[in-house]
Amino acid sequence: MLKIIIPTIMLMPLTWLSKKNMIWINTTTYSLLISLISLSLLNQPSNNSLNFSLMFFSDPLSAPLLVLTTWLLPLMLMASQHHLSKEPLIRKKLYITMLTMLQTLLIMTFTATELISFYILFEATLVPTLIIITRWGNQTERLNAGLYFLFYTLMGSLPLLVALISIQNLTGSLNFLLIQYWNQALPDSWSNIFLWLACMMAFMVKMPLYGLHLWLPKAHVEAPIAGSMVLAAILLKLGGYGMLRITTMLNPQTSFMAYPFLMLSLWGMIMTSSICLRQTDLKSLIAYSSVSHMALVIVAVLIQTPWSYMGATALMIAHGLTSSMLFCLANSNYERTHSRTMILARGLQTLLPLMAAWWLLASLTNLALPPSINLIGELFVVMSSFSWSNITIILMGTNITITALYSLYMLITTQRGKYTHHINSIKPSFTRENALMALHMTPLLLLSLNPKIILGFTY
Amino acid sequence: MNPLIFTTILMTVLLGTMIVMMSSHWLMIWIGFEMNLLAIIPILMKKYNPRTMEASTKYFLTQATASMLLMMAIIINLMHSGQWTITKVFNPTASIIMTSALAMKLGLTPFHFWVPEVTQGISLTSGLILLTWQKLAPMSILYQISPSINLNILLTMAVLSILVGGWGGLNQTQLRKIMAYSSIAHMGWMTAVLVYNPTLTMLNMLIYIMMTLTMFMLFIHSSSTTMLSLSHTWNKTPLTTTLILITLLSMGGLPPLSGFMPKWMIIQELTKNSSIILPTLMAIMALLNLYFYMRLTYSTSLTMFPSTNNMKMKWQFETKRITLLPPLIVMSSLLLPLTPMLSILD
Repeated sequence: MLKIIIPTIMLMPLTWLSKKNMIWINTTTYSLLISLISLSLLNQPSNNSLNFSLMFFSDPLSAPLLVLTTWLLPLMLMASQHHLSKEPLIRKKLYITMLTMLQTLLIMTFTATELISFYILFEATLVPTLIIITRWGNQTERLNAGLYFLFYTLMGSLPLLVALISIQNLTGSLNFLLIQYWNQALPDSWSNIFLWLACMMAFMVKMPLYGLHLWLPKAHVEAPIAGSMVLAAILLKLGGYGMLRITTMLNPQTSFMAYPFLMLSLWGMIMTSSICLRQTDLKSLIAYSSVSHMALVIVAVLIQTPWSYMGATALMIAHGLTSSMLFCLANSNYERTHSRTMILARGLQTLLPLMAAWWLLASLTNLALPPSINLIGELFVVMSSFSWSNITIILMGTNITITALYSLYMLITTQRGKYTHHINSIKPSFTRENALMALHMTPLLLLSLNPKIILGFTY
Repeated sequence: MNPLIFTTILMTVLLGTMIVMMSSHWLMIWIGFEMNLLAIIPILMKKYNPRTMEASTKYFLTQATASMLLMMAIIINLMHSGQWTITKVFNPTASIIMTSALAMKLGLTPFHFWVPEVTQGISLTSGLILLTWQKLAPMSILYQISPSINLNILLTMAVLSILVGGWGGLNQTQLRKIMAYSSIAHMGWMTAVLVYNPTLTMLNMLIYIMMTLTMFMLFIHSSSTTMLSLSHTWNKTPLTTTLILITLLSMGGLPPLSGFMPKWMIIQELTKNSSIILPTLMAIMALLNLYFYMRLTYSTSLTMFPSTNNMKMKWQFETKRITLLPPLIVMSSLLLPLTPMLSILD
């Protein structure tokens, strides 16, 4: 694992020592190379984990997330080039350093064996993200957004620290490799109920669960493009990954403790999807769509069946790529019109036809069109929740319909129709932007040919 | 002040604390405290104006009261145990009185009222000495009597201190008051774990001193005592804004910085002793502290705070000497990976 971590850490001296005209080239190239190295981890021969050392391991669940993380760094760098072009050199380097630091911490989080180490790195990812949102966001609301982001997450995760330490006292070690073999049922008592709550709330806030999702629209909207990309694609998945890891230790309370959260997620996904139909702000629409998709993941994780775990993992990867691509598309609009209002930049198909093709593909994957992996994820989740309780099919079906509605609404508003009369000059799509979209879309399409690598450890 | 006299007075302060830390006779401890108190008054009053006079008087009165309570506890201990050696205090009354006296010296709630007012009234350097060096002596006595301290009183004072330190700092814009409330909250964390594992108290003290030292050095460097004047540092020395950001996040206890280490270790120790609600409560209260540190970082580092135009070409006076800033910054932010080394302390 050090073969990935050390090169990522070394990207930081690379940025600081590069010449002015080479910073973007150097960092993007080397981060692409690092993502190629991480692809080798996808070769998971069995259901057991590949243990690299006592501290790092990779598992059929964490390998796809890791590959997604490393894949995203060059994409983030490509996407940020335009809005940073006017900044002084040191600030550009600082931005790239923050992204690299975040990347290192994320890689270590996804591969950590010891749960307390996972916790520390999970918390540590907050600091660079906070700095990216508050320092480089564009509107004054970013300050509030940063505070909400930081405090919601910390409030949820401090009980997790106490819970992990008390589990360590009970069982002697929190090394995940050991725990998966010694699992015993937790005795039924009030304090174990609170233990369950303490362990899960951190990840619920991060996912986010419907009632605790208030930080997400703020943070996603106010963050600069790289911040939005990494938030939507990876940081939300940290919550899902954490939940998938920690539910193995929390039986049998999960069977009854999960009900309130299942209800909140099932209702929340419909609520947030419906709100998407009434959004005027493009980024806000994509943010609420993230909440809705993540609610599906929460339902899947809490049901705890093999199919639902497969669906959760596939959905996390698929949503990561799709959501990040949608944010890039929204950003390409923002860079031209400096406004996030959807109706101000409509009818773009006539002006930017190739970008319209990317918009179409992104919207189609967002609404889970077969045979994309989004469909596989959603389908598995719908099927497993149907087997858990027949009535959920109504809610799931409604959600799929509303998702299709708002995705098409977003597509039609921005692309179709007559263009606005106030658009005087829109710069044509840069090669960099087209490359960015292609790099998002290609893995998504290729994975639909062989989805078993993203189906997680219950395949 | 005449350098020779200043040195003598400073040495007396040091000597007083040293006597407290190294004595085995209760009377010498009291003498050490009094020596410390008398010598620090001129240091607090380095600038002669009514504000410092008021602050010094408040400090003197509270500390003298605390010393008298300490003396009373010593005498009760003498009456009941017949000896003057420093060991744990056997008599419960003496123990409670001594704990209250030392809490008054440290600035724990409910005896915290003097800390913000005194810290505000004195200069930054004197405030530095007050909030770091002066805490060493009472803490060393608490360490030595820790087996016999009444747990209820100490934990109540600790939790209340964390609460007061968090809430009190929320409405402050004066940097010295912010540091004072931060000191109250950190003292709360330190005393919470005193009965369970006093080594962690010392660890927390060490890291707290490093972080407070760093903050004060940064404030002294920019000669700023209010949030507003601190927010002009991006104009003058942009690098210090990054350093302020890192140190404040460390003080707030965010991983992966070293300020997280004492909090983590304290939570671990408390959970090992089967108290779960207490560390959860303490950790959540520490978020209040984080809130006002974040506010401070927002106005200094994370935004380019609006300033009037002529500030952009501020006169650069001679650079103040900031002692040992780079090692302090490194130590107050990067020590977390060294946590496994703490096992050598057992």
